Amino acid sequence: MKTISNNLRLFWQGAILSYVALFHWMRPIQYTASKILMPLAQMFFFVYLGTYATSADNAAFYIVGNALQIAAVSGIYGMTMSIGGDRENGTLGYIFGAPANRLVVFMGRAFMNIMDGALGVVIAFVWGVLLMGLDLSNTNIPALALVIVITTISTCGLGLLMGCLALITVNVMFVNNFVYFLLLIFSGANIPLGDLPVSFQALSFVLPLTRGITAARSLVSGASLADVAPLLWGELVVGFVYFMLGYFLFTAFEAVAKRRGTLEVF
Amino acid sequence: MNIRMIAKYWRTILIVAEMNIRQQITDGFILFTVLFQPIIIALLGLWMLKDKGPDAAIFVVVGSGLTGLWSSLLFISGNSINFERWTGTLESLVAIPTPFEVIVFGKNLANVAQSLLSMALGYFVAAFAFGYSLEIQQPLLFVVSVLLSVIAFVSFGLIIAPIFVMNPGVRAWQNAMEFPVYVFCGFLFPIALLPGWTTPISYLLPPYWAAVALHGTSTAGASLNETLFAWGMMLLFSLIDLLIASRLFKMMLYKARADATLGME
Repeated sequence: MKTISNNLRLFWQGAILSYVALFHWMRPIQYTASKILMPLAQMFFFVYLGTYATSADNAAFYIVGNALQIAAVSGIYGMTMSIGGDRENGTLGYIFGAPANRLVVFMGRAFMNIMDGALGVVIAFVWGVLLMGLDLSNTNIPALALVIVITTISTCGLGLLMGCLALITVNVMFVNNFVYFLLLIFSGANIPLGDLPVSFQALSFVLPLTRGITAARSLVSGASLADVAPLLWGELVVGFVYFMLGYFLFTAFEAVAKRRGTLEVF
Repeated sequence: MNIRMIAKYWRTILIVAEMNIRQQITDGFILFTVLFQPIIIALLGLWMLKDKGPDAAIFVVVGSGLTGLWSSLLFISGNSINFERWTGTLESLVAIPTPFEVIVFGKNLANVAQSLLSMALGYFVAAFAFGYSLEIQQPLLFVVSVLLSVIAFVSFGLIIAPIFVMNPGVRAWQNAMEFPVYVFCGFLFPIALLPGWTTPISYLLPPYWAAVALHGTSTAGASLNETLFAWGMMLLFSLIDLLIASRLFKMMLYKARADATLGME
């Protein structure tokens, strides 16, 4: 019982403290710029580009795709910096030195990013409705909310894996940016999956976001939760696999870093 | 900062530019911003606009190159003074007889010049990956447009860097300033798609005139008069930017010395 309560405490404290400390979201202006306006501007750019490429009738396709893609801001950048930030700030040694359960520490790190990422997607949908005329009148809103949460979780799974790379490379922003921008191509946010070469389609289906975006588009078109359930299960499985890969990689890198004495070597 | 100063210190500018490129060549963030991000945007644009044919392809190649120029200016040139702070070399640079704005001019020149690589790479991506046979319709006018665009971007960068130093609050908006310029300057789609009230904003941005000149000369979509007007606007904005930058650098250095915050962020 004591172990459970300790782990719960570790989870909550880890979630809140790591978020505050690592992200420096001390001032609302920084949060507004990076988490509200940047995604909005990015969404506008791709929606205009998409409607210019095809037609204004396809606006919903690009709005929904790019709104869901916002999950990757927290999922990829947030998660990576949650882990890589410890290395940069010199606190990684304390985490590795603590007897805390690594999985709980990890979950704590992911929790706030999932909440924050889901909030970012909701804000993006609100922008979509208010500024771009997205019609959600036929949409099952609770089901869409579920899609947003599941997609954000699975994207955080990939972010966790990327975060582990932050333990062994100094060019973590390169990796982050690369993955984030590749998701813009391969997740189907901007290019219909059928238009991609077959080999690229295979890559799309092992990435998070892909199924979530497809599910969200179906829901906006009037589909029911039951219709998109298989896609959501698939998205969950993809996220789970990335989470587990990230966790095992983290423990492996921890062992390697301790053995080589390269814990905080840049 | 003025034209006479640039002429007098051109050797220093070139050496600073060379040093800057050597320093940055292995930085993953810079490589991504300058090369990989514009290429990914080019790939996205080429895929999305594939039904519009080869004319759209050259538009995407030039437009994605412009995104590289702007992102490089915003994130790399914008932090060019802060970078010296982080590495502890700002005090030395300010103390040497060469005016500090000359050093920053050289750094910006390197950033903008290396960003042009993305346009060349975008060209090869379009040619090899998508099989387009691309042709610059007005090569001579295009080259002049590139040169004037470089000057306009470098001059614009001279305003951004001291503003970021003097107002850390403004630098917090850096992430939010990247895509709006892509949108307002018509890098990858015409600004005619945007609401009418945004047009004056576009006109006030030097990158917009660079986009007009480069798109116009690469696709022959603009008349000679339109191209000449865009060149004139780039030169006008460059002069205004240099004048403002001159004042900003004086203010920044005076403030940093008076507050004893030269090396502090």
